[in-house]
Amino acid sequence: MFARLAAVLLVSTTALAQAAEMKVCVEGAYPPMSMMNEKGEIVGMDIDIAKALCAEIGATCPLVKTDWEAMIPSLLEGKCDAIIASMSITPEREQVVAFTDKYLQSPSMFIARTGAGLTDTAEALAGKRVGVQRGTVSHDFMTGEFPKVELGLYGSEEEIYLDLKAGRVDAAFVDGGTGETAFLKTPEGAGFAFFGRPHTEKKYFGKGVGIALRPADGARREKLNAAIRTIRANGKYIEINNRYFSTDQYGD
Amino acid sequence: MDKIFAYGPILIGGMGVTLAVAVLSMATATALGAAVAALALRGGAFVRAATAVYTTVARGVPDLVLMLLIFFGGERAINAVLAAFGHGRISVSPFLAGVTTLSFIFGAFLAEIFRGAFLAVPRGQIEAAEAIGLTPRRILVRVVLPQMLRLALPGFTNTWLVMLKSTAIISIVGLQDMVGIADKAGKATREPFLFMLAVILFFLALTAASSDLLRRFERRFHPGGVADAR
Repeated sequence: MFARLAAVLLVSTTALAQAAEMKVCVEGAYPPMSMMNEKGEIVGMDIDIAKALCAEIGATCPLVKTDWEAMIPSLLEGKCDAIIASMSITPEREQVVAFTDKYLQSPSMFIARTGAGLTDTAEALAGKRVGVQRGTVSHDFMTGEFPKVELGLYGSEEEIYLDLKAGRVDAAFVDGGTGETAFLKTPEGAGFAFFGRPHTEKKYFGKGVGIALRPADGARREKLNAAIRTIRANGKYIEINNRYFSTDQYGD
Repeated sequence: MDKIFAYGPILIGGMGVTLAVAVLSMATATALGAAVAALALRGGAFVRAATAVYTTVARGVPDLVLMLLIFFGGERAINAVLAAFGHGRISVSPFLAGVTTLSFIFGAFLAEIFRGAFLAVPRGQIEAAEAIGLTPRRILVRVVLPQMLRLALPGFTNTWLVMLKSTAIISIVGLQDMVGIADKAGKATREPFLFMLAVILFFLALTAASSDLLRRFERRFHPGGVADAR
């Protein structure tokens, strides 16, 4: 009798604790999404989004610093209740964790010299030479949607920027987030700018980045999905986005 | 360079964590190693077989694998036992998991070093000590241990140096040690080599200082004053 009562009490206290607290696994090694500041705290767009979503669902969210390799085990073993670490939704991961809707989908974007007068249509770019990173979703997209463009294939985005500056390619087609932080915002990127619109076509670019949860946490998933819709609608997301990027990182 | 200074306080905190993990792990590994060596030398057939399994497994499994196994699997095992007794869940901290893993691994290396050192003490000396009527306890303290100590010291020093560097694996489970902090600070500032250089210098200073200290011990325990007198 007492044992059963105690068991009921224990279960109910854990249930209460779960409603009020959601421990979030964060990484801190992927600037500017997630990075460590001088005080040793993890900051970045992932963390700001996490805090906004937690305020929205009325939970407190202690951050659990975890390396990338230990992320999914930490979630499954209950060391945290959610992973907010720019984790792309992939079929492989969906076999072991449940993802919310995307909260991020860094679009791919074109970059060219300012005033080059280029637009991102198949006709306007026909015959031009565009640099892409070999074997990426951006490469697939260019092959599929811009068949008349001459592609320059590179091993890394850094190499594309070098040839873009040297004039060996007319434009680069790269990840918009890193294109901005690793090139346009650096002294190297002076005189260059994005052109055209952000590209996130599902056929090529997949489902984007979501929050990973334990598959059993269906109720939490619904709450977080609603919270993501809310911060998209009320402007909170864009406010956070603009602290780090000049283009909307949500995609469309 | 100013970036190193900006991150200076937390880097120094990370050094503290690295040192604390290393020193604590070495202490428990030494105790574990001594106990296992004693069991391997004096235990019955079953006990000796058990120690052989332990030293083989602990020296054969990669430290990273063992770390993750203890951090995740260990917690699950403890909670399964606790649940059987009707207790609630507990959580293994990264610090505890780190110290346990390193102690478990390096305890095995030290057990072999201690066992080897014991066997290297000439059998005749023990017989001679028995012949003049010393008790087994006095033989151990006065004859065997002092010689074991000096025979084991080079291996002990080696193990300590290897373990000091193995502490870097603990950052994988989220403990903010020197290497983990330097890695993240390097990424945040886009200056990875600057921070890795600081890590290299820290480890070099620490290993140089500790090998010097342990060499002094080696000299101290050689009454003749010559390190390779045999």
